[in-house]
Amino acid sequence: MLTRTWRKFCSSRIGRSIFRVGLPGSDLERARVGVSSFLLHIQPVKVQSRSLKFRTTFGLGLILLYLFLILIVTGVLLMFYYVPSPELAYRSMKDLEFVVTAGMLLRNMHRWAAHLMVLGVVLHMCRVFYTGAYKPPREFNWVIGVVLFLLTLGLSFTGYLLPWDQLAFWAITVGANISSYAPFVGEKVRFVLLGGNVVGPSALLRFYVLHVVLLPAGMAFLVAIHLWRVRKDGGLARPAEPDLIEEEFAEFELPPEKTYGLMELARGSSAAVGTAQEDTVFSWPHLVFREILLLMLTVAGVLVLAIFWNAPLEEFANPAHPPNPAKAPWYFLGLQELVAHSAFWGGVVVPTLLLVALIMLPYIDTKPDGVGVWFSSQRKTAILIFSICLITMTVLTVIGSVFRGPNWDFTVPWHPNVEEH
Amino acid sequence: MSDTRLQRLYPWFTASSLLVGILVVVGFYRDRFREWKVWQRDYIRQETARATTPQEKDAARRIPVAIKQIVLPEVQRVDRCVTCHVAVDDPSYSGLPQPVSYHPNHDQHPFDKFGCTICHQGQGFATTKQAAHGNVKHWDRPMLPMLQIEASCAKCHHPADLPQAPKLTRGHALFQELGCIGCHKLHGRGGAIGPELDKVGAKHSPQWLTMHFKDPAAVSPGSAMPPVIVEEADIQALTLYMMSLTGEQLTEYHVSMKTIPGPRVGRQLFEEKGCVGCHKVGGKGGDVGPPIDDVATRRDAEWIVAHFRDPQALSPGTVMPKFDLTEHEIRALTEFLLSLTDPGIVGYIKIPTWMTPVERGKSVFGKYGCAGCHGRDGQGGVPNPNAKTAEQIPSLKYAAEGYTDTELRSRILNGQHEITPMDTERPPPPLYMPGWNGKIAAGEMDDLVAYIKSLLPEGDDLDF
Amino acid sequence: MQLMLGWWAAVFAISATVAASVRFMFPNVLYEPSLRMKAQRPDDYPDGATFFPEHRFFLMKNGKQFRAVSATCTHLGCTVNRIADGSGFRCPCHGSVFDASGAVTSGPAPKALAWYPVTLSRDERLVIDMTRQVSPEEQLVV
Repeated sequence: MLTRTWRKFCSSRIGRSIFRVGLPGSDLERARVGVSSFLLHIQPVKVQSRSLKFRTTFGLGLILLYLFLILIVTGVLLMFYYVPSPELAYRSMKDLEFVVTAGMLLRNMHRWAAHLMVLGVVLHMCRVFYTGAYKPPREFNWVIGVVLFLLTLGLSFTGYLLPWDQLAFWAITVGANISSYAPFVGEKVRFVLLGGNVVGPSALLRFYVLHVVLLPAGMAFLVAIHLWRVRKDGGLARPAEPDLIEEEFAEFELPPEKTYGLMELARGSSAAVGTAQEDTVFSWPHLVFREILLLMLTVAGVLVLAIFWNAPLEEFANPAHPPNPAKAPWYFLGLQELVAHSAFWGGVVVPTLLLVALIMLPYIDTKPDGVGVWFSSQRKTAILIFSICLITMTVLTVIGSVFRGPNWDFTVPWHPNVEEH
Repeated sequence: MSDTRLQRLYPWFTASSLLVGILVVVGFYRDRFREWKVWQRDYIRQETARATTPQEKDAARRIPVAIKQIVLPEVQRVDRCVTCHVAVDDPSYSGLPQPVSYHPNHDQHPFDKFGCTICHQGQGFATTKQAAHGNVKHWDRPMLPMLQIEASCAKCHHPADLPQAPKLTRGHALFQELGCIGCHKLHGRGGAIGPELDKVGAKHSPQWLTMHFKDPAAVSPGSAMPPVIVEEADIQALTLYMMSLTGEQLTEYHVSMKTIPGPRVGRQLFEEKGCVGCHKVGGKGGDVGPPIDDVATRRDAEWIVAHFRDPQALSPGTVMPKFDLTEHEIRALTEFLLSLTDPGIVGYIKIPTWMTPVERGKSVFGKYGCAGCHGRDGQGGVPNPNAKTAEQIPSLKYAAEGYTDTELRSRILNGQHEITPMDTERPPPPLYMPGWNGKIAAGEMDDLVAYIKSLLPEGDDLDF
Repeated sequence: MQLMLGWWAAVFAISATVAASVRFMFPNVLYEPSLRMKAQRPDDYPDGATFFPEHRFFLMKNGKQFRAVSATCTHLGCTVNRIADGSGFRCPCHGSVFDASGAVTSGPAPKALAWYPVTLSRDERLVIDMTRQVSPEEQLVV
C-alpha cells in the first residue's frame, strides 16, 4: 500500500516536479535516481560490493555522520530551553529533568551521542589506519579527518561546561588548565577561551557560542569536504588489483538492457565506466538501504543508552569546593595522567608530538603497500608504532578514569573506601 | 546474488525501525506517569466529593492537573513543592495526611512570597518525592527535620530578636557567652585561630557539628579546639545556630516582608533617627525631651506606640515631631525602649555610654571572644595540653596583681605565640594568645583593662 | 512483503519521533505571571481601581463588591490606561476608548475589554481567574 501510494504520488504532476524519477524500477532508473536527486547524488551510482561488506569499515564513518545528525537535532531542541547564564543554565537542566516532556530523554541522547562520537572518531581513525586508507590519493582527507577529530573533542569539551554543575565546572577548570601548559601561547589561549582567568559566566557564554555556532558550522563544512573527497577519490580505498572473487565473477553477466551514459569523471588513471569486471552494484537500493538500516540501528543504540542511563547532573557549581579528585572529561584523562607525571613532557611535548605525527602520517608513510587490507603484513612497522601509541593512550585514559582516586593516588574502582564526593 | 544478501537485511530493518519507534514511545510515555499526578487527582477527587452546589462542582472540574510552582527570582529559587502539596493554603485541609494537607502559619510567611525551600530546604526544582525532599545524591541541601527548622529563621530574623525560635536564640546567646569568636571569625569579626564560620552550616551536617562540639579532634583530626562542655540541650542549640549560618542572607528581600521587628532593629533606628539629639540615654544626650532610659517604668507599650504615631495627641504642645515611621518601625522602636530597663536582655542592646567602664569592658571581653579560652568571666580552665600553666589556659582572676596596666595592655596587644611547654619532649601546646593590635580599639582597651582588673576577688587581696 | 513491513516500521518510528519532538516544544511550566492569580485579602485594597501591572488587570472595589477587568486592549494587546475620572479606559497605542463597563466607544478595538471572575479562596484571599470571562455585571460580594 505504501509503495502504491508513493508510486501514485510520484507519477502525479506535483510528485514528478519534486521527485524526478520516483521509485526506480529498472537499472536505468536506478542510475538516474542517483544523479538526479540531491541527497542521492552524494553516493556514486554504483559501488564496489566489498565496500558494502560490514567488516570493510564497520560502518564507522556513517555512524559518526548519524551521531552528528542526532547531536544537531537533539541539540537544537535542547536550545529551546537552555539559557547560557550560570543560575539559569543549571535551572534549565533541572527543568529538563523534572518538568519538560521528553526533556531528560533528549538530554540523555545528546550526552550519549556525544560520548559515542568521541569514541567513534577514534575507532574510525583506527579503521582508516589499519586498512592503510590514508595513502595516496587520500592523504589530505586523513588530515581533514584529524581536524574533525579535534573539532569533535572541542565540541564535546565546550558542551561539557553547559550544565554548570560541579562535574562540568571542575572538568572544564582542569581541562582548561591543561591547555595553559602549552609554551608561550598556553596562558593566552586559556584567557581567551574562558574570557577571563577563571571559569565564570563569560566562559559559559563563550563555550555556548562555540558549542552551538562556531564549532558545529566548522564541523559541518569539513564533514562535507571529507565526504566529497571520499567520493572524488574513488570511494573506499581498496587493493590496487581487485581480488577476483571467484563465485561472484562467475555469476556476473551483462544484462541485455544495460546502457550507460557518462555519469561522472573520477580521479585515477581510468574512468570507472564500462569496466565490466568490477564487482559493483547499484547504490540504489544496495547502498541506500544499508545506510538507512544503519541510521535506524544508530538511533536505536543511542535511545537504549538514553532510556536506561541518565546523564549526570551534580550540585550547582561551587568554586570554593572542588571535588577530590577533580577530573577532566574522560577523553582528556590520558593527558591529565601524563600531566600528573610531568607538566612539561605530559602537557606539552607528548601531545604536540602525537598531534604532529598524526597530521604528518600520510606524508611520512608514503609507500602504497597494503591499501584496503586490514593489518597488511607489508606495513608491520607502521602498524606496530601506531598500535603502541594507541594502546599507551588507552591505558593512560583508563588509569586516569578508573584507577585514580583522591589526591590522584592510585586506587581501584572496587575499593570499599572510595567515596563519591 | 547481491539481491538475496540485501533481502537478508530486511528483518533487521524492520526490527531496528520498530525498536526506534517503541523506544521513543516508551521514553515519551515514561514522562506521562509522574507521581505528582496521583496526588493532584486525589485532590480533585476530594474537591469533587465535597462540592455541593453546581458552581462548586464546576469549579472542581476546572482544577487543572499541572505542575505548580512558586518562582522567586530574588533568591534563585523555583519551588515546585506545591505540585504535590496542593492544599497548603487551604485551611479546610488542616490535619489531613501529607502531601495534600494545610500548612499552618501561612499568614506570617505567605508562600507566594517566600516559597518553601527558604525555610524547609530540599530541592524545589524536583517533582518526585525523593528528589524534592533532597534525599538524593548531588543535592547538598536535604530537607531540614522539623526539630531543626528554627535554623532557617536566621536567614531573615536576627537570632537574638526571635523568641519564637527559643533553640536558635539560646544557641546564639551561648555562642556569645562562650566566646567562640575569640578563635573563629563570623561576619568579618573574630580570631584567626579556627576556621571562619560564615558558611559553616552549608558545609557540615548536623551530626558532624554536634560531634565537633563534643570532641573536636574526633571529626577534625589535629584540631586545637577544646571540647565544649555544656548540657546536651545546649549542644543541640549551638548545633542549630551553626546550621543557621549558611551564608545565605535574604536581607534585601526580607526588608519588604513583614518581619517581626525587635529591639535590635529598634536600636538601629534609634541611632539613625538621632533620638539622642533631644533625649538623654545613660546621662548623655540632649535636654529638649525627657530622658528615656526609664520610659518603660512610666509608660506601657500601647502609649509609646500611640505617641510615635501622633505625639501631639498624647502630649499636647510637645515639640517632638511626627516622624515618618512605618508601623513596623514604630513597633521596633517601642520594643527597644522597653528593653532598656529589662535586665533579661543581652548586653549589646544597652547603649554603651550608659554603662560603667567595667560593664563596657565585660562586653568587650564578650565581643572578642576572650571567654573562648579564658573561660566565662575569665575564670580559666580551658585545657591546653602540655602548657606550663597546669596544662590549662590561665585564669585572669589575679591578672590585676601580676601586671601593671601598661604590661596588661601590651600583653593583650602583642599576644604570646610561644607558650612555654611543660615537657619539651611532647608536642607544643596547641593554643596560644593571639595579638589583638589593630583589632581592639583604644577606647575598648581601656574598658577591657578595667574589666580584667575588676575580676580580682574582693578580700582576696593577698599581700606578697 | 518483508521490506514493506520495514517501511511501515520506519514510518512509525519517524512519526513517533516527530510527535515527541513537537510535544517537547510545549512547555509544562511557565515563568510568567500565573493566569490564576491569588491576591491579598479583600480589606487590603482601597475603594476604586487597583492596577496589577504584572498580570495586567484592574481590580475594582466598591465597598464589599469586587470585579476585575482586563487591561489588555482587544485590538493589538497594548496595556490600556484608566481615565482619571473613572469613566473608562484609553489605549495609548492606537487610540481605542472603552467605557467604564469595558465596551468600545471609539477606535479600532474589535470587542469589549474582558471581565474576569473574582472568587474568595478558603483562606479568604481574592482569586482572579484569567482563564475565564464573565459579564461585567458579575461581582463578588464579601
